[in-house]
Amino acid sequence: MSLTIVDNATCAFCGCVCDDIEVHADEHKIVAAKRACILGKAWFLNHTTDKHYPDALVDGRETTVDEAVQVAADLLDRADMPLVYGMSNITCEAQREAVALAERLGGVADSHTSL
Amino acid sequence: MGGKVSCTLGEVKNRADFVLYWGGNPAECHPRHFTKYALMPKGRFVPRGRKDRTMVLVDIRETKSVKAADIFLQIRPGKDFEALSILRALVKGQHVDEKQVAETGLTLEQLTDLVDRMKRAKFGVMFFGMGLSMTRGKHMNSASILTLAAELNAYTKFVAMPMRGHGNVTGADVVMRWTTGYPFGVNFSRGYPRYNPGEFSTVDLLVRGDVDAALILGADPGATMPQPAIDHLARIPTVVLDPKVTHTSRLARVHITTAVTGISAPGTGYRMDEIPLPLRPALRSPYPTDEDVVRRIHQAVAEKPDWMAAGGQTTTTQI
Amino acid sequence: MLRIVGGQVYDPAHGIDGVVQDVCIQDGRIVENVDAAPTIDASGMIVFPGGVDVHTHVAGGSINFARAMTPEDHRRTTAFIRSQTNRAGVGGMTPTTFATGYLYAGMGWTTVNEAAVPILSAKHTHEELRDIPIVDKSCCVLLANNEILLDLLEAGEMERAREVVAWQIWASKAYGVKAVNPGGVAAWKYGKNAEQLSEPVDGYHKVTPAKIVAGLAQIVDDLGLPHPLHLHCNNLGVPGNLTTTLETMQNLDGRRAHMAHLQYHAYGGDDWSTMRSEAPQLADYMNAHRNFTTDAGAVLFGDTVTITADGPWQHLLYKLTGRKWGNLDVENETGCGIVPYTYRPTNLVNAVQWAVGLELLLLIDDPWRVFLTTDHPNGACFWRYPEIIQLLMCRDFRRDCMAGQSDKALSRIHLPDIDREYTLYEIATITSAGPARALGLPRKGHLGVGADADVVIYDQDDDVARMFGHPRYVIKGGEIVIEDGDIRATPEGRGLLVRPPHDEQIEAFLRPLFEDYYTMSFDNYSVEMERIQQPEICDCIDTE
Repeated sequence: MSLTIVDNATCAFCGCVCDDIEVHADEHKIVAAKRACILGKAWFLNHTTDKHYPDALVDGRETTVDEAVQVAADLLDRADMPLVYGMSNITCEAQREAVALAERLGGVADSHTSL
Repeated sequence: MGGKVSCTLGEVKNRADFVLYWGGNPAECHPRHFTKYALMPKGRFVPRGRKDRTMVLVDIRETKSVKAADIFLQIRPGKDFEALSILRALVKGQHVDEKQVAETGLTLEQLTDLVDRMKRAKFGVMFFGMGLSMTRGKHMNSASILTLAAELNAYTKFVAMPMRGHGNVTGADVVMRWTTGYPFGVNFSRGYPRYNPGEFSTVDLLVRGDVDAALILGADPGATMPQPAIDHLARIPTVVLDPKVTHTSRLARVHITTAVTGISAPGTGYRMDEIPLPLRPALRSPYPTDEDVVRRIHQAVAEKPDWMAAGGQTTTTQI
Repeated sequence: MLRIVGGQVYDPAHGIDGVVQDVCIQDGRIVENVDAAPTIDASGMIVFPGGVDVHTHVAGGSINFARAMTPEDHRRTTAFIRSQTNRAGVGGMTPTTFATGYLYAGMGWTTVNEAAVPILSAKHTHEELRDIPIVDKSCCVLLANNEILLDLLEAGEMERAREVVAWQIWASKAYGVKAVNPGGVAAWKYGKNAEQLSEPVDGYHKVTPAKIVAGLAQIVDDLGLPHPLHLHCNNLGVPGNLTTTLETMQNLDGRRAHMAHLQYHAYGGDDWSTMRSEAPQLADYMNAHRNFTTDAGAVLFGDTVTITADGPWQHLLYKLTGRKWGNLDVENETGCGIVPYTYRPTNLVNAVQWAVGLELLLLIDDPWRVFLTTDHPNGACFWRYPEIIQLLMCRDFRRDCMAGQSDKALSRIHLPDIDREYTLYEIATITSAGPARALGLPRKGHLGVGADADVVIYDQDDDVARMFGHPRYVIKGGEIVIEDGDIRATPEGRGLLVRPPHDEQIEAFLRPLFEDYYTMSFDNYSVEMERIQQPEICDCIDTE
């Protein structure tokens, strides 16, 4: 199995966002995260490409992402005051999309900062 | 925000000869904060690294970070605001009441020594954690330490910085500010951004039952929020996007599994000092990214009739 | 395709001064003629090339810091309500990105230059620029306090410094080079400043502000950047700073420079109580030295928030006002300070500042070299430009504005003695043709064949501020984007860049220094091309 080395990878676990991590990965999992701290190592090595979880669940039933997206859109659109919350462990690009969605819905956008 | 006198972490690395942590435990929560940024590294103007710096830790208990400190000040729980106010008075040479000092669990001698060291520093920095910003006094404590740092600039160079946790929570603040003007808790129900912490903050909205649907992403409130807030999330239709099936997923109507940010989802993350960094994923995920799924939900919503009336928007006169 | 018929055209780049003629548009450009195109009947209207802002602060860490510090202003300002096609936002002192695009376009401005970008957070600036719709965007990278460069100047290594600057411009995906308080911001890292041009900067033996300015101006010319060094002088805002400003200009010794927000650099007096306008002296110098362009950085009375990389000045302003203070020092590169501020007509210093901006605009005789700006949001917000146009075009209005001022204030200024009134042709020059030429953008600021079809059409109106605040049509890249105040379309703007060639070996020099000085990985430092919306790489020029 071939080994990929990503130099200067960024650890998104804590607010330090260290970007000097040398990540070694095979096609399936990360096998090493050099220079990462104990928390970062645990975070990097905790992930694989396995499908541990179903693509999507609607009312506890496994389904496709397409269907779940449609149901999510229905539920959120029907609401008078939907909340879009969290946004800590996602990229800025996803945050930007989330704000745009909250705006379209006429709801509230909020993050961990409000705690 | 009432103001903030701060810097990027490299300024601390290159210049700080006085480093104070208040209400935080970096040894266990931000392990490389000491080694890569603030304490151990050799900097341009602190060539001997740790030897050129004095480190003070203020906390309510002895944590693992104490070992790294030159001075540990054990403060009585809930007395941070009082201690900071006394420090501000001492910095300005004002009289302080011995009885009030005693209440903080510290002595006047300790606090006077601290102020002397702060003023003698060439470049001082105070990092503050949730032990300050999330305990009695909350944002007033943050304001107080930020003001102390600002006022110290009358004597020497001083900065302060919150120790933000949670991956890219800083990015959320940054993105919301440029898109809406406000850092969090933004209400679009009138079609434009409004902000009122305490009214439009998530816990308050949930506990009061003010929202009637929720999209949760990059967080697991089902594991962390007060029970009445969780109860409301279970009552309303909730949608969760997360790499794992979380506590919140279990009480949600919809869960969609997404790629892990930085592991298998590319993009940008912000460091606690608001420096943007590219994420370089090492794995390919079998799941779509949060960005992709949110965009698809948005597209599906956009195909429905808009609640906003049609017609052009006007560039009204600004006042 | 579009044909604008019957309007009075003002196109200073071609000497066209109110001539009634058609303007034809095809594929986003001005063309000689179009067949069977839709027409806009502009009879009785005035046609200008789209406005160009040479110096503004609209995107990136500093303005976003200011947004965080002024929620009370967002609350009271006019909001932008989302429509089916447009994004929501707030205007005010620090408009959100979407609102910034709508407000600029709504006023007829179609190109803006963000004047202050640290390399370290340039990704952030470009992310925000991407979210400013309609207008085309360029930006200037902050280099006059970059410690790697200062070290090279200290060592006398000019050639290597030039290669580093070329690399830094491309790394930050910038268009030009900005110098802010040369040496002073670096000194501020230890709480000091640089007040004397010929004294070594704190921490250095040879490098002085004068050497930094001359060195950077030389490098910018050697690299052939289309925009000259964009210079914010030392001692901004300080009484008596005229001396510093003139010395800085003399020190440039014939090299090109754009002198930013000159209003803040034209004061006499010894302290706040004796401060006075020295605009005539500075205007004389500008008139006699054609190597300079400048923008006014004009002040209008009211609330705003000051934003600058000039950290030590902002500390002083905080001490003077006792208001909120934001500061963010950027490792090895620059700083940033934020202080909310209210300009009051009853305040002597503010009254002088208000007059100086207008005096410079009125006394510098060549409108091709002095441009309309407020150093947004420092002197006033950009959406107040129409008020300044009114002040320039109407002497009586100026006099009315001065009617309430004290004799003391009037004795410190020269505005009451100035009779000049700007013509429409001159307004088109200082708002569009001139700044486009100073930026070195050959397709901007004019209506000749081949120009970008950025056109603004005003209803003729005796109320000048109303006329310029409310164009009848704004056309960007050939598309009608604003019609009578309504936003019709919100196309993406272009990102304007330059790519001066550099020696590839310079990375081998920079990498180890970077690893010692910075806390980020060298390979993560540069802005990736994917972050630039519709990038357009502009040509470097021969500056000989």
